Order: sequence, then structure tokens, then C-alpha cells
Amino acid sequence: MSALTADPQPLAVGAELSGPEIVVNADRLAAYGDGLLSSAAGRAVQVGSNIHTDVELARSQGLPAPIADGMLSTNYLSSMLTRAFGRFYIENGELRTKFIKPVPVDTLLRVRGRVRAREELGDGRVRYELDVWTENGNGVKVVDGDAAVEVTE
Amino acid sequence: MLGGYISDLEAGDVFEPVRYLLTPEAISAYATGNEEDGDWFHGDDNPWGRQVRPPTMIHSDKMRLLEANCLKEQRIAGMTGQGPELESDARIHYEYHAKQHSPAFAGEELVVSGRIADRYERRGRDYLLYELEVRTADGRLVTTYRDRTVLRYRKEDDR
Repeated sequence: MSALTADPQPLAVGAELSGPEIVVNADRLAAYGDGLLSSAAGRAVQVGSNIHTDVELARSQGLPAPIADGMLSTNYLSSMLTRAFGRFYIENGELRTKFIKPVPVDTLLRVRGRVRAREELGDGRVRYELDVWTENGNGVKVVDGDAAVEVTE
Repeated sequence: MLGGYISDLEAGDVFEPVRYLLTPEAISAYATGNEEDGDWFHGDDNPWGRQVRPPTMIHSDKMRLLEANCLKEQRIAGMTGQGPELESDARIHYEYHAKQHSPAFAGEELVVSGRIADRYERRGRDYLLYELEVRTADGRLVTTYRDRTVLRYRKEDDR
């Protein structure tokens, strides 16, 4: 378990954020499916066959291989924002992601962000806007998005 | 049209809301699946003193809403061996857009509602635009959400 920090450090425009570098292997995709479905079912369940876990099913749908759910990248980005903006991201954060390229199993993912704008709102309130994305091992964006959060500094 | 497949959904369809108890186990399961080991999501030691859910858990709410409203394509049941095997095309998530308005905590009852804001074809693929919101049972707004999903990856011309 890692300890999260409630209050963020101020960031300048252009500041870079990063999350983990992760190889999206079959075990990760299965664990992701187990977690999502268990949370939605309200009880512990295990994911079975879908395009994230089943080679033949993925191919039958026109995909070259099982692919990662775009929400996996979204969740890594959300975790990065939680660490950068603390409780404010949980309370008022906004995150938009577009899944612009398929992420085949065993792809290396890098989780990235950059502060695009910082606006003083008065009374110590500051609004940040960020570009966020994940890219593969060749530096090609596979998920592109943006985020916003208001903090008190 | 509600009650059938996800591919039967049309612009203007309003989902029957889903009400459920947000449990500590559901939050931990979701966080664990995403390798989110931050202590706020696994216990009460956080700024609010109550286990809080990750903002992205609205995705799980969407699955609950579809399970209750698309009875011929219950994907949670189908993918966990608890229901009929899925025969429909895989649905491909294309865009996630969530805005947080307040945290949601373990032990709270949540109400998920939403509608199909649009359905359209682009470059040979059918898209659904969902608009969802989550409130606590006493009316506090938690999350508003827009989601674009492709009904099948393979283009119509390739079938």
C-alpha cells in the first residue's frame, strides 16, 4: 500500500508528470477484468472470455490480438493525477481520454502528463489544465486526453 | 430501445436507474484491478476519514446500468459464467469523460442514471454517446460522465 498525499505541490506551466512504465501483459489484463467485473457485480468474480483475454475471440472481431481496455490507461492516468493533485482531484477533477490506437497485449505503456495552463482564481484557488496521454514503447500515443482540477494552494 | 441488446439502444433512450450500496470490497476490487495501491482506496485513512472510490469507477457504474437495461446482452453475467454466453459483437470503448463533483464513500447508496444522447455512424462504424450521472441516494451529485462506444470494431464493409 502506498501513502497518498492530500495537498499538492504547486506546479508551473510546462511541468511534466509521469506515472509508471507498464508492460500490459495477459496477467494484467485478466486482473483488470477481474477487478472491473467484481466491482460491477458486487461480488468477487473472475473474467472469462473477452477481447482482452481471448486470442481467438479478439481475432474473430477483427483485432490482431487481445487488446487492453482503454480504461486501463485511463486508470493509470487517474492514479497519476491523484498523486499530483491529492484530494482535489478526487473532489472536483475532470479527465477525458480518447482511445486512439489499439494496445495489443504485451505493449509497453508510458503514462504521461504536462501542465498546459495555470489560472489563479482568487482566495488561493488555482485551476490547472493538463494534457495527458499514454504512449507505447516507440513513443506513439495510444491514448490522448486532457484533465482539469481546481486546488487550494 | 431498452430491454434488448446494446446495439438496440437509440438516441433518446433513458435508462432505468440503478441503485446500489457501494461496498468497501467493490472499491478495493476495482482499485486492485488497476494496480492502484493508494491507501485512500483501501481504507479509512484519508482526508475524509472514509474509504473513497476512484473517480474512474463510473466505468463500473456504466456496466451496472447496461446490465439492468440491456437484458439480452448482460455482459457481466456473460463474461463471468453466470449467464448465457455472449453472442453479440464486442463493444469497443472509444472515449471516457468524467467530471467529479464530490467523492463517493464506502457505505453510501448510489443511484446511477443516464441516457443515450446520440447514435451515429462515422467511417463505417456505429457509435453510441452515453450521458450518465451518479448521485448519492440523498441527492448529492458525485460524477457526471460522457462516454463514446463503438458497437463493433470491424467495419461494415469488412464483414
